[in-house]
Amino acid sequence: MSDDLPEAAHGRLQGGAFTSGLSVADLAACHAMGLEPVGLVQGFCAMQWGYGPARTGFGGGLGMGFASGLAPSVARGGYVENYQCPHAMVSAEHRQWGQNYEQTWVEQSWHDGYDAASRRMLEEATALGAHGVVGVVDTVASLVESGVVEFHLLGTAVVVSGLERPATPWTSSLAGQRLAKLFEAGYAPVSTIAVVSSVRVWASCMTEYFMGSGAGLWSSPSDSVEIDQLVSARTRARQLVRERARSQLRGDELHGVDLRVSEREPGPGDIDIEVQLRGNRVRRARPADPLTFPRPTVALS
Amino acid sequence: MSDAPKDLPEASERRLEEIEHGLFTSDLSVNEFLLVKEAGYHPLGLVMGSSIYHTGLQTRKWGESQELTKLTEAMYNARELAMTRMEEEASELGADGVVGVRLDVNYYEWGKDAAEFIAVGTAVKAEDGVSRRNALGKPFTSDLSGQDFWTLLRTGYLPQGLVMGTCVYHIAHRGLGQTLATTGQNVELPNFTQALYEARELAMTRMQDEASQLGAAGVVGARLEEKTHQWGSHTIEFLALGTAVTRTADEITLTPPVTIISLDH
Amino acid sequence: MTGAAPSPNASGDLPAAVRQALAVAEPVGGARAGLTSDLTIDETLILHSVAWAPRDLVVGLSVQSVPSSIWSWGSGEIELASRAHARAFAHAVARLHAEAVAVGAHGVVGVHVERRILASHIEVELVGTAVAPADAPRIPDGQVFVSDLSARDFALLLAGGWRPVALAVGASFTYAPRRAVGAALRQQTQNVELTNYTAALYDARSTAMERMQRAALDAHGAGIVDVTVTEGPLRFAAHAIGFTAWGTVVVPASSSQTIDPLTVVSLDDAVNAFDVAPLA
Repeated sequence: MSDDLPEAAHGRLQGGAFTSGLSVADLAACHAMGLEPVGLVQGFCAMQWGYGPARTGFGGGLGMGFASGLAPSVARGGYVENYQCPHAMVSAEHRQWGQNYEQTWVEQSWHDGYDAASRRMLEEATALGAHGVVGVVDTVASLVESGVVEFHLLGTAVVVSGLERPATPWTSSLAGQRLAKLFEAGYAPVSTIAVVSSVRVWASCMTEYFMGSGAGLWSSPSDSVEIDQLVSARTRARQLVRERARSQLRGDELHGVDLRVSEREPGPGDIDIEVQLRGNRVRRARPADPLTFPRPTVALS
Repeated sequence: MSDAPKDLPEASERRLEEIEHGLFTSDLSVNEFLLVKEAGYHPLGLVMGSSIYHTGLQTRKWGESQELTKLTEAMYNARELAMTRMEEEASELGADGVVGVRLDVNYYEWGKDAAEFIAVGTAVKAEDGVSRRNALGKPFTSDLSGQDFWTLLRTGYLPQGLVMGTCVYHIAHRGLGQTLATTGQNVELPNFTQALYEARELAMTRMQDEASQLGAAGVVGARLEEKTHQWGSHTIEFLALGTAVTRTADEITLTPPVTIISLDH
Repeated sequence: MTGAAPSPNASGDLPAAVRQALAVAEPVGGARAGLTSDLTIDETLILHSVAWAPRDLVVGLSVQSVPSSIWSWGSGEIELASRAHARAFAHAVARLHAEAVAVGAHGVVGVHVERRILASHIEVELVGTAVAPADAPRIPDGQVFVSDLSARDFALLLAGGWRPVALAVGASFTYAPRRAVGAALRQQTQNVELTNYTAALYDARSTAMERMQRAALDAHGAGIVDVTVTEGPLRFAAHAIGFTAWGTVVVPASSSQTIDPLTVVSLDDAVNAFDVAPLA
């Protein structure tokens, strides 16, 4: 067993009784599928958070770099888009440039943390001789201290009798009935996938004005106007996660996708967009054989 | 059982006497009630146990991650007391077990550092007269709903007891030097990882130990809860809870499930 | 409502099917490489049962800036806001539609509508699943539909002999009318209907509904189902009131189909016992 796991894990995994996070219904379904629960497994990683080139590059003096009239080049690799001021105006308060940029360092750290937790959960499962892990749930949050992000994964390891053990256990967030249906539909679980994208919007003078925080230097428009910079950043952030997830599929399919978006505004005209995408990578194991359309029922309750 | 419980209040005994005369109370829904009956059990009455516990003080070292054993003990004992009293009430009724147990913690304005731990559930008795008490001769307890209870029995398992493990852990604050040293990078913090990982593992281990004491084959529905109670963010209780089960000689009578595509929303 | 369907495994031997599926190392025929879908397994199966399949997760969004001065005191409809709302929806739907067309879908189902109305801008975000009949060729762009019906509702609608054609939206923003000071004083102790309020709100609500219906007629629809209506004062401007309504426009596809439901008594309590409960 790897030294990556804490002392207490070694002791626990050698214990007698199996533990499972499965509900009774899920346990019954697992029995019906021939999956035998062998133990509750978890993986954990705490990461320091909140630092990156954005802070050291032009933290605090954000406006200065832009006022010089040059587009800042903070993002190396990843998506960048510049928005130039259409006004012929030079002033310390007026933003000459706006920029959308992908915070690749944030994405990298997030993936590092998630992957470490995921790897440890798989190590625990391997130590139990498991074929797979079902009912995987993850929490990404700060429990103790801000500036620390914690990645926690929890699932139930299962063995399948009469089957060779894979090098790496398969994982799925499904358990019980839903997993049974996946198998019946001719799919096999491969892994859970979680990816993130992080895009920062540094508003151009027009965007800032349209967002309602800029000074009204010109007359009110008489009609609504699309805020291109923001639309572009949000659209791109959502595209990035989908592309990233797709690149991990290698011919498989991704089901049950959960897209979570959060936005922060650390300062006026400064928007931080984070998009997380989770899903189950599944493999078609036999040609599709659809069920017949179910007979609708009316419950008398 | 005839051995009279020692520490139940009088009102409680009167209530239980009325129940013994045939009236049953339960917080089971009609669906659950019918399924419990279908499983061959009869609900006897609502049983509960409570304990107001004063948690002692324990000094924490600012810069050190450690288990706060005194608090762990307090949290554990308080729940254990509430559970034991509930089991006593169930014994008084001659029950074989308790289903649908809920464990709650209440804080009151008047009690600084004191908390009320409550356990409530429905006592049930097997209708065939054969005792289904657990390995320790006590009524089994479980947090299973009526539906889950029925399914579990049909799958060839019998609940043995609600098992729990707890661990109150103090996570070290980071010193200024440490914080500065890592400024400028998003990196893993091995000390944090180690401490929080270990605390969870300890709670889970203790739960498994309880299950082993009951001679259980396994634990179902295990949950891991994280509570900060009123100790500030660096002191966290990790509580692992689940129902220990054993295999019964009964054959598995759950018919192979039919795949249903749900048209539910 | 639930419905039972027999298992596709003639043998009914689930453990064997599980072992066989887990032993497969490469996806077999019929797999759609790179398919991304936010449907649950139930929704996927029900879609398969009407011979449709998900194609991809699609997104469309728009942010329309409005001058914040428009919300301040005035009378009648705030036309600029109504127009901005309509435009934000139209742009978001157009982008969602374009993504669906790009993956060769015949429509988008299960569209979640996220909407924010702020003093300075109106945001609309739509996330849905592009779907198409299994192995069907592309259809003309104009026939690709967008619908906020869930995959389950969509399949049931098809089974019942109907099909969705478009998302219809209507909105109307209006200033709450003022009462003359004299009238307010006179009415202080009386129970009276505030007829000018009634009339103004009635009007605005009808306008929003009418716009939605107009959109449905433009799409040659026979009706609108699953209409979501929201109304109320705006958080940042209590004297401005917004009414919006959206729903899926449907047309009959065949006249002979009926769903013929079965009645059952369920012993489950009102929870989905088979959901994965969060453990934390």
